[in-house]
Amino acid sequence: MADRRLRAGVVLLVLLAGYALLVPWLAGVDDRVTDFAAARQGPSWAHLFGTDSAGRDLFVRTAAGLRVSLFIAVVCALLSVLIGALVGALSAAAGGWVDRLTMRVVDGVNAVPHLLLGIVLVALFRGSLVAIIASIALTHWTQVARIVRAEVLSLRDREHVDAALLGGATRWRVVRRHLLPAALPQALVAAVLLLPHAVWHESTLSFLGLGLPPHAASLGTLLQEARSSLLLGGWWTLVFPALGLVLATLAVAAIGAALRDRAALPERAGAQL
Amino acid sequence: MTLTELPAPRVDDAAPAAPRPPRVRWRAAGRLARRRLLFVVPVLVVVSGGVFAVADASPFDPLAGYLGDRYLTASEQAQARIADELGTGRPWWQQYGDWLGGLLTGDLGVSRSFGQPVAQVLAERLPWTLLLTGVSLGLAVLTALLLGTWSAARRGGWVDRVVTSTCLLLQAVPPFVIALGAVALFALGLAWLPVAGLTDAGAELTVGQVARHLVLPAAVLAASQLPWLLLNVRQSLLAALADDAVLAARARGLAESTVVLRHALPTALLPFVTLLGARLPELVVGAVLVEEVFSWPGLAQAVVTSAVELDFPLLAVLTLLTTAAVLLGSLLADVAYVLLDPRVAADG
Amino acid sequence: MSSRARSLVALTVTTAALTACTAPGTGGSTGGDEADSDRLVLADAYEPELFNPVTGHGETGYSRVYDGLVRLTGGSAGIPELEPSLATELPRGNADATEWTVPLREGVTFSDGTTFDAADVAATYAAVLDPASASPIAGSYAMVDSVEAVDPQTVVFRLAYPYVPFPSKLLLGIAPAEALATPGPAEASPLNTAPIGTGPYVLAERQGDQTVFRANPDHWDGAPEVEELVVVYVPDDNTRAQRMASGEFDGTTLPPLLAETLADDEGLTVVGHPSADWRGVALPAGDPVTGDPAVRLALNAAVDRDAIVESVLGGHGEAASTFVPAVFGEFTDPSAVFTHDPDEARRLLDEAGWVPGPDGVRVRDGQRAEFTVMYFPEDTLRRDLAQAFASDALAVGVEVDLEAVDRPQFRPRIPVDGSLLGGGDVPYDPDTQLYAALHSSFTADGVGGPFDNPSDYRNPTVDAALDRARRSTDQAERVADYREVQRQLVADPPAVVLVFLEHVYVMKDDGWTGTEPVLEPHSHGVSWGPWWNLRDWRRDG
Repeated sequence: MADRRLRAGVVLLVLLAGYALLVPWLAGVDDRVTDFAAARQGPSWAHLFGTDSAGRDLFVRTAAGLRVSLFIAVVCALLSVLIGALVGALSAAAGGWVDRLTMRVVDGVNAVPHLLLGIVLVALFRGSLVAIIASIALTHWTQVARIVRAEVLSLRDREHVDAALLGGATRWRVVRRHLLPAALPQALVAAVLLLPHAVWHESTLSFLGLGLPPHAASLGTLLQEARSSLLLGGWWTLVFPALGLVLATLAVAAIGAALRDRAALPERAGAQL
Repeated sequence: MTLTELPAPRVDDAAPAAPRPPRVRWRAAGRLARRRLLFVVPVLVVVSGGVFAVADASPFDPLAGYLGDRYLTASEQAQARIADELGTGRPWWQQYGDWLGGLLTGDLGVSRSFGQPVAQVLAERLPWTLLLTGVSLGLAVLTALLLGTWSAARRGGWVDRVVTSTCLLLQAVPPFVIALGAVALFALGLAWLPVAGLTDAGAELTVGQVARHLVLPAAVLAASQLPWLLLNVRQSLLAALADDAVLAARARGLAESTVVLRHALPTALLPFVTLLGARLPELVVGAVLVEEVFSWPGLAQAVVTSAVELDFPLLAVLTLLTTAAVLLGSLLADVAYVLLDPRVAADG
Repeated sequence: MSSRARSLVALTVTTAALTACTAPGTGGSTGGDEADSDRLVLADAYEPELFNPVTGHGETGYSRVYDGLVRLTGGSAGIPELEPSLATELPRGNADATEWTVPLREGVTFSDGTTFDAADVAATYAAVLDPASASPIAGSYAMVDSVEAVDPQTVVFRLAYPYVPFPSKLLLGIAPAEALATPGPAEASPLNTAPIGTGPYVLAERQGDQTVFRANPDHWDGAPEVEELVVVYVPDDNTRAQRMASGEFDGTTLPPLLAETLADDEGLTVVGHPSADWRGVALPAGDPVTGDPAVRLALNAAVDRDAIVESVLGGHGEAASTFVPAVFGEFTDPSAVFTHDPDEARRLLDEAGWVPGPDGVRVRDGQRAEFTVMYFPEDTLRRDLAQAFASDALAVGVEVDLEAVDRPQFRPRIPVDGSLLGGGDVPYDPDTQLYAALHSSFTADGVGGPFDNPSDYRNPTVDAALDRARRSTDQAERVADYREVQRQLVADPPAVVLVFLEHVYVMKDDGWTGTEPVLEPHSHGVSWGPWWNLRDWRRDG
């Protein structure tokens, strides 16, 4: 079951990634060239997904948007894992009041709804890619920190760790040599589980007009544009980018869920992201 | 002790510990509540201070929000003078200190973006947000319990298959896409329900009007939360149904419905209660998007406005309010957990 | 595909009509139909602003709750005329236009029952100019040196410098002196939400997203027949269009293309109002690419303005070569236009030494013909205009990098980068339309706002003509000067002016007469449009 899900997810993701990477490159269309006279044409053989409000081909543009959104999501997930793994491992290794304080900070960050924090950060540093990535990474590391900390705590009690400690190794060395490597697979699974959420987050911010600039292609900006094309009858401007977003989410979520089952993480690790 | 640190219910635990007397549990719950409340205050202070500090670091000039288009036409001296008068040029900790002092004396300040006292903005908008989130949460919980129980009890049946796959699909659709789809279908295509707003334009504020306008946003918000709740109920119930105690009950020849409702469901509800607490932030996020798409005049919409216009007083109050709501929500969930579950010692 | 959209809309309308039948009498009054018919519900894209003249409300003469000393008259195709409102006659200036005397109307009362007199006029202008009010419009009244209430029915404005178009500055609404007695930030004034004016309407309530105005029965010019006006704030264009189609509103403002989707609907009329509201690309003089006169001329020849009007504006607008629209009548020089000619653009660039590089983008002495154009991210029209401009420029070998930039970051970059700008804020005289946009005195640091002369344009001939025209009381002389300015603007363009917008509105035909076109300023919304003169609307028949 888990294997089938994993395979389906991987196949779908490879297809989507291939579409996102190859199509804009093969099409060789300059993104800056607009043809407003050809705006909002329905799907046809010339334009499989129709055209957008500036007369650009949506088959190419959706691919470009998917590429940007996936890229941002991957960077955000990796950053979150980096922050989370460091904080979680250090917190568990240090123990005592440092651990308690860190966990309070984690609670504090979690207490503010992520999107709210994201909106505040992005609104204040608008239009920059760094702000978008930071706003997602800075709000999503806490889950990873928890998972890594729990893993490290459970590993700490095992014999080889005790042996290493008895052998005179420093705490940090134990963390680095024994605990972090052991917790790494879990952290990476957490990263995959973060991906769909990061994709959502970027598209949501762009949809609210706070993310990427409106002339740039991302799933969020395309969907924002679709909102104004819908009444002009441009259903395809909503359907195809939304399909890309949903399929990407499904693919990554399937992979994440399969990996989570393998790594025997609690169900909630995915649900609460 | 946080909700996620609570031990997951061990359904394989064949012989649950003897339930402790209610008084002990209430006392334990009280201790938990007190300790958690002590945590709430510093978090709120830090979070609201953080808003001021971050807003100060932003290259965004709060005058832009106040001046609107005229921001570009007003001369530099005029700008400096206005900043001086409004006090936006002072260091953020001074502004924060003033704001905090005002807060303690019950003065929430004036919202620049709405041109109203913050208290008035809250009074006008909070009820609508509470109505929307309350109704959709109720709707989602009810549906999750009904369908979740059904699909777990008839595992593998067609209802289960349809419900489960719908939920998995729905999990992958962001709330704003659900909202856009719902508007396109139910409001534009079928024209069953109004597109947006609180009442028909110019109509008086009547229960009927608001109810009609509430249907679509509440349903969309509920649908965006439903999959998590429903799958959780189903999963926990399936686990509980495999529990020895349940198997024993079944072996005694009790009716299947009795087994599910009396024996398995109570155990399965425990993780559901904590999940409810944990989903609160997502509910708030969903509310922001739903209010945005449906022009629902609630507080969530004001979050975007105040952030964009750098409306310090309103932004800080809204952040504070949401954070408090989330903390309180998870606290309530944990207290309920302690009160319901005999096995949890409220040591956190 | 548009037929599909139309059938959707038609479906919506039919069902809405059905719902309207099943839920009658939402007005809640006994005379159901009668009460509803004297009431209009409009949807606005803009949030209700602060109802305080000191914060800039009604500066260009659109307020419903306040009267200015003068008001606009519509009907004519050109620049709107002014007529006395709280003044009894149009203000008279002295010989050098530095002192203006205004006689005031007697027996006018504010909505709180107090009597209007010269002290209120003086107090309102004083509050705008008082630094303590931090009024955002203080800069527009910089020429006012002092305002004196000579007697209760006469007020005198003394100016710091001669200013012929001064009467248009008297459109500002007048608030009672009592309400302005305490100095302090206008932002905190109770007038913001509880205005006290003499206007044809009073603000009845503001609840959630709705603002309700009722006719002022005691208005000096007679009570308006449209007794109640409800303005609903619906920021999203699409939502507004959908709700308009479903019959919820009597009118709204919409982007041209969206408005067109409603044009065929029974009972709906799409109305376009001309405006002096231009959109164009400012080209900073300091930049090595955009500072080259050849590049400026070439870009002006490269853009296809007619195509932009047709496809981006859906025909609702006019190609613009300078800041002076045709509606300015004799002030407009019909010969001052650019024609679309990409080959001419290429020839100009070749001649100036810009030769095509390997990627098609031109290069001169190692300098790529590339520059940045900024636009406001939330404005889809500016986004599309910027994209169309970049596309046309690329076709002649000039690369334009678009950047969505918010106002705060926008400001300091205006002298450095190109920007998609709009203007025409106060179009009641060529002076207000042109002076700040072109005069070189605004290139000095700290003079005016950053939006004034954004390209740092310096042309002594233009400067001299602008200065002469603002002081001259001779119409023929002014016409000659402003025509001279326009000829300079096509010989030595400071920018690529693209279009004048036509502001587009959709209104339900519900049996009122009295709508008159009027030239609209840069700001719009349902304060303008067919409803700008709601006070004069009469029931048909």
